[in-house]
Formats: sequence, C-alpha cells, structure tokens
Amino acid sequence: MAETVVEVEGLHLAYRNVQAVQGVTFCVEQGEILAVIGPNGSGKTSTVECVEGLRKPDSGRISVFGKDPFQHRGEVYEKMGVQLQETAYPSKIRVEELCRLFAAFYDRPADWEALLRQMDLENKRKRWVSKLSGGEKQRLSVLLSLMGRPKLMILDELTTGLDPEVRQSMWRSFEAIRDSGVSIILVSHYLDEVEALAGRILFLEDGKQQFLGSKQEFCSYAKERISEKNWDDSDSLEKLYLKLMPKQGGISMDAIG
Amino acid sequence: MKMKRFAVICKYEGLLFLRDFFGFFFTLVFPTLMLVIFGSIYGNAPISPETELGAMDVSVPAYAVMVIGVTGLMAFPLTLSECKEKKIYKRYDATPAGKRSIILAQILVNFVMTLIGILILLIAGRALYGVKILGSAGAVALSLFISVAALFSMGFLFTAVAPDAKIANVLCYVFYFVMLFLSGATIPDMLFSGAVRTVSKFLPMTYAVDLLQGAFAGEGLLTHRTELLVLSVLTVLFAGVGAVCYKKKDWA
Repeated sequence: MAETVVEVEGLHLAYRNVQAVQGVTFCVEQGEILAVIGPNGSGKTSTVECVEGLRKPDSGRISVFGKDPFQHRGEVYEKMGVQLQETAYPSKIRVEELCRLFAAFYDRPADWEALLRQMDLENKRKRWVSKLSGGEKQRLSVLLSLMGRPKLMILDELTTGLDPEVRQSMWRSFEAIRDSGVSIILVSHYLDEVEALAGRILFLEDGKQQFLGSKQEFCSYAKERISEKNWDDSDSLEKLYLKLMPKQGGISMDAIG
Repeated sequence: MKMKRFAVICKYEGLLFLRDFFGFFFTLVFPTLMLVIFGSIYGNAPISPETELGAMDVSVPAYAVMVIGVTGLMAFPLTLSECKEKKIYKRYDATPAGKRSIILAQILVNFVMTLIGILILLIAGRALYGVKILGSAGAVALSLFISVAALFSMGFLFTAVAPDAKIANVLCYVFYFVMLFLSGATIPDMLFSGAVRTVSKFLPMTYAVDLLQGAFAGEGLLTHRTELLVLSVLTVLFAGVGAVCYKKKDWA
C-alpha cells in the first residue's frame, strides 16, 4: 500500500472577513499527482500555501511526512520542493549564483548543472535573473524546486508562460518524476495539463471543496451538474469543466467601439 | 543553523551588497571622500591650544557615524522592505534555510561592511592627516557596537511600521538626511543655532556622534553615560516595537 505523504483535514483559513478555505480535506499518496483546480479566488493557492507551511491555518490539521509543515518547516523542506505562483529573486544575482545559493540550502542538493542543461538554461547561466524572459524564469523556478531532490513537489501554475513545446516536455519530465515515486500537488488552470498528468482531482469553488476523486469520477460529477442537453460523451475534461463554470464576462465592442 | 550554509548565504548577500551602487559608494567610498575634501580644507592641526585634537580627529568619528547611518538606515532596511514586498523572503521560506537565516546574513553583511567602511576611513585619516585615536580599543568598540545597534534597530522599526516598501523608503530617506545634517555627523554641532541644537537632541544619531567622538578622544565612557543610556534604551525600544509589528505582518 502506498504511503500517505500529505494529510489535510478540515482546513479553514480566513483573510480578515473573507473565508478563503472552508473545510478542505484530502490526502496525497506516494507517487501520485493530485491536481487542484477551480476558478480564480477559489482558494487553491491558499490551500497549498498552508500545506507548504507558509500560512498558518485558522483550524484543521495538516501533516506532511508526518509533521506539521508550519511548525517543522526546515525539516519538511528537506523533502519538499515548491514552485510558487508568484515569486521573485534578488535582481543583481546571476542564474548560476542563484543555483549555487539554493544548492547550499540542502543536505543533498541535486546536480544543478545537469538541470540547467535539461531546462535549456545552460547558455543563460551568467545572465542576471532579472533579465530572463518570463518562460526562462518559470523554468528556473521549476529547476530550483527540484534542488533538494524532493519526495513531494507542490507546483502552483507549473506551465504558465511556457510555450507549447516546453509545456509538453515539462509534462513528460513530471510524469517521469512521478514514476520515480515523487508525489506532486499540481495547481493548474489548464485542464489539458490536468488530464495529461493528474491521477486525482480536487475541485474548489469559493473556498469550498466541491469534488475529490479520479478524472473519470470528475467527468461524471461535472455531467451531473450540467444539464443533460449541454454535454455529450466525447466532451474532454476541459470542455466539461468549462461547461460547469459560469460564463465570465468578456469585453464588449460597445465599450471600446 | 548549519554554518556552511550560512557562510554561502553571507557570501551571496555580500555580493549583492557590493553590486548595489548606493550601498557600496556611500558606505565604502563617500565617507573617505568627505575626509579628503574637508581634510584638504581644514587640515588636522590642533583646534585650540588646550587640545591636541585637530579638525579631522573630531570629524573621523562623526563620519564613522555617517557610515553606520548609511547601512543602518538605508542599505539594511531598504533591502529588508524590498525583499519582503517582492516576496523574495517567501521563496526563501519555502526552503530549509528560511527567511530568518537570510535576514541574519543581511544584518551581518551590513555590520561587516560598516566596519570595513570605518576601517577604510581610519586608515585614510591616519595616512593622510595623522588622525589619532586616544581612547581605548574597548571603549571605541563598545561605542561603535551600541551606535550600530541603535541605528540598525531604527531602520528595522521603519520597515516594520511602514505599510509598504515605498513608505519605508520615504521614512528611511527623510530621517537619514535630517540626521545627517542635524546630528553633527557632517556639520559640526558647534555651528548650530539654539533651535537646531534643540532639534538635534531628539535625534538618535546625535548621541552616536557624541559617544564616538568622546570614545575616540579618550574621554571615559562614564562621561558619556547619557549617550550610552539613550542609545541602549532606543535599541531595545525600536527592536522590540519593530518585532511586535513584524509578527502581525503577512509574509506570504
């Protein structure tokens, strides 16, 4: 039986008067990819930031490798790598210097020179981090998340800003990483990515857990919530998800014409 | 804390300090430039028959406080507020090192750069104008340490009470420049009018200048117990209030 790496039970988090996360409960097994999906403001990032030990929940229980990540952050991060949704690095530091610095944080750092080559950043090693393109910064963030040879990875919007070929190669890399026994929590807005990578889905809406289960179960759940006329059997996960979500306002030509 | 890891963090924080023109120039170059300019104007002959101290003997400890002001009220707090606002600390928190070891390294690097800046000043003063330190090494070191603690805590407090990096920058710039000109660090306080002298008594840097000038001149530390007391109380107060404010802040 696979080992449970992450356990979250009855998680609640509020910012002032806004309930960002309300009673979220899930677990992640070894070698599993759990996708966390939901519209903007649904509590995805708040949930994973609690698992990362970066936010203290108001109530609920979180265990990562059997430890409270907020209380034992240093120990937990020896086995956990994260790629944050929003991050920055010092502006006057070069790519290779940042890699050396992050390598020094871990007892058993990864071979970052090899990772630089694999992430196609080898020829950027002398470049200031602030001068990298958006996609290059994203690849560097992924590289740094791998620095501690993690057993658990939390990737918040993994492929945002990457071109299609790099996205595909990134998916293949993370499939291989998962197959090596690493657990991954993947926060994503891209349902094609979720379909390609995830084993299970956690769907959040307004901070509440709406669904937790396999991709097939999510399709059945979505179909139940959408009226029968609006879906057919050939609908992909992404199509069903879009039909499930209320239509967002677009820009009207009246306003700018 | 793992010492090897901390040494690497300090190395890169040191590099970042030297790559920032403001910190590098105003900590390591500008005070010596002031010494050369004013030394060439006033020289270092005894100011009066009653003393063996010249203008540069009195100015060097004041310029040393200027160095402490640059690191304590500008370089360190501006780094702190920038790293917090840009969520750089948050990224470090998502590693085994955590932001605390980074902040500790930033304090240490700024402290070491302060000492290097003062050392350059002393060597240049000695070589160019025969600047003398009549006080004991212990008294000078203690005075330096207390002055550093007070001004660094003041910078820390500004970043803690300011809602964002912009306001923290404004507070640091305003207080640094006001204190630079009204504390005796650049303009000798004997030239101040009564009103300016009163204002200067409310500025922590004034006490640091008086304390260091006294320590360099060989006056006993007991003569300067008011300065020692004021700077020590301010250190505890600024650091304490700053720490309480920071506890309430959202770092994520």
